[in-house]
Amino acid sequence: MLGLSHSLSFSLSDIHADVWHADALGTPAMQVYPTGDAALDAQLPGGGWPVGAMTEILQAAGVHSEWRLLLPALMATKQAVLLVGPPHLPFAPALAAQGLTVQRLLSVSTTLASQRLWATEQALRCAEVDAVLLWLPPGVKDAVRTDQLRRLQIAAAEHQKLLFVMRPDSVQDEASPAVLRVWVGPKLSSQEDGLEVQVRKRRGPPMATPLALRARAPRLGLLLAAARNHALDRATARI
Amino acid sequence: MHWIALQPASDAAPPEPALAAAALPADPHTALAWRLLQFTPMVARVHDALVLEVSGSERLFGGRAALLGLILQPDAAHAQGATSLLALGRLWSGAADALIDALPLQSLRAAQPHLPTLARLGCATWGQLRTLPRGGVARRFGADLLAALDRAYGDAPDVYPWCSLPEVFDAPLELSASVESASAFLFGLRRLLAQLLVWLRARQHGVLALQLLWELDARRSNALHVDAHHDGGPQGRLVLRTAHPTQDMQHLQRLFMEQLAHVHLPAPVLYLRLRTLQTQALGGESLSLLPQDLRHGDSLHQTLERLAARLGADQVQCVQAQADHTPENMQRWQTWQASRVPQTTADFAHANAALYPTWLLPKPLKLVVHQQDPQYYGPLTLLVGPQRLEGGWLQGQPALRAIK
Repeated sequence: MLGLSHSLSFSLSDIHADVWHADALGTPAMQVYPTGDAALDAQLPGGGWPVGAMTEILQAAGVHSEWRLLLPALMATKQAVLLVGPPHLPFAPALAAQGLTVQRLLSVSTTLASQRLWATEQALRCAEVDAVLLWLPPGVKDAVRTDQLRRLQIAAAEHQKLLFVMRPDSVQDEASPAVLRVWVGPKLSSQEDGLEVQVRKRRGPPMATPLALRARAPRLGLLLAAARNHALDRATARI
Repeated sequence: MHWIALQPASDAAPPEPALAAAALPADPHTALAWRLLQFTPMVARVHDALVLEVSGSERLFGGRAALLGLILQPDAAHAQGATSLLALGRLWSGAADALIDALPLQSLRAAQPHLPTLARLGCATWGQLRTLPRGGVARRFGADLLAALDRAYGDAPDVYPWCSLPEVFDAPLELSASVESASAFLFGLRRLLAQLLVWLRARQHGVLALQLLWELDARRSNALHVDAHHDGGPQGRLVLRTAHPTQDMQHLQRLFMEQLAHVHLPAPVLYLRLRTLQTQALGGESLSLLPQDLRHGDSLHQTLERLAARLGADQVQCVQAQADHTPENMQRWQTWQASRVPQTTADFAHANAALYPTWLLPKPLKLVVHQQDPQYYGPLTLLVGPQRLEGGWLQGQPALRAIK
């Protein structure tokens, strides 16, 4: 009788805290860097970009919102940040104006995917590198295999580094060893300043509704508004 | 004074003098002398043995027993004594703890020419020779024998031409078989690097620039072959530079292998030679007391050197600010060099920089205009501007730009 009353009062929350409930976000014991957006932090396990794990960022061709998403985390790091195969030239004065110490940026440009993966793994093994950003566009000659990405995930976990891999959104149906998969794209329907973020893979339940962020950094938004008001003032003065 | 006499292990049968002179650093005496120089500066070569004086550096290495444990190898014959000639005498006579008076005269190098005469005098040991009247010995055998005897008994100082390390490391190596591809140099290279490490440690230097030379087989040498490593002669060369002075042979070996993978040999190679071009005194590395502060992994310049060795030096870049008002000239991505002075954040500060985009196309793109709207992945919206930037008549056309 006593045992039955025990089983009746039993609820899921009584299970040990180390057991992860599939309906809640995982709370891994890893270090995270906040993304700078509270809404996005709330959707990520641990509350930020995970250190020691691979994060995949999926984007359509021609969309490059990496800096918008990653700059707050990169600004919080102390040591070198390695860019492997950036698609264009990163514009240092603009990045510096947003607060990044651009002297820490190092760029490795090579066209072969295998060379990019090798360079990334070498960089992850370096003690004086805090974050590695790897671009794997669809145009590179040799295809990227899952086991190659798994190597990177293991290297990042072993050496506790931030690792972001930028991939085209055409690979979203393929399996990936990444701990976190995020899709980013401009939000075309509503306001012009919209950025849509979907977390496609995480340690937690699937994301119900996509997240709408502002596409521009806060300071840039303010400056643009000021410039527009100024132009408006001049236009009215002319009339 | 405490002297140790040592005989290298492989030297049981003394090699022919010509052979020993030809392969100097591979010579076991030189190799052993280089190794011993880390314990004491007083190392000298006497015929086929080495003598060293260790009383000055015993304390540094934790006492005589600890120092002997470091110096002595189990396979090398050795003997000790208060003077160098006593140690040598014990080594050559094979009696490690014989009394000085009882040592046979065969083990005194200065007495060698006079051995038959001394034997007829009934003189067989050092003690018997010493009891003979000095004037008579000097007249009969010359002053050298008496001087040697004085040094053996400690009555005269021991002075030798001390061994020292050469200023430049330059070691040849004959490969055991002719090698057709440069990536197969690894085995020989490893031996040379091990020698280099001994030399660097003894001099307390780190290497900044190294040169690897190889000799092409003359019978099949293609004399006309000219590329980055061959100038048409019988020799090929590869120069390696590091950003910081280093004693890390693993790193050097990895750099060499990356570089050698690009080398095409026109003919088989039989001889290698490694030479230092530039070295620098190396300060000791200060390590943290706390174990969690010790970092695991390579240092940044080692990683970047490795990347540059495989991908090409100009593929590893860092950004440099420039004082210019046009966006494409505000910055320059250029080859990374460890020696470059880092710029300050103020160098990157520009008045309108916050309005500029975070990416820049490597070359300006002339946009297609469709119904007065410029197109780039769809129509573009004008958010601010347009800005008119004078490109300057020196550089080219003035440009009109709009920033999205």
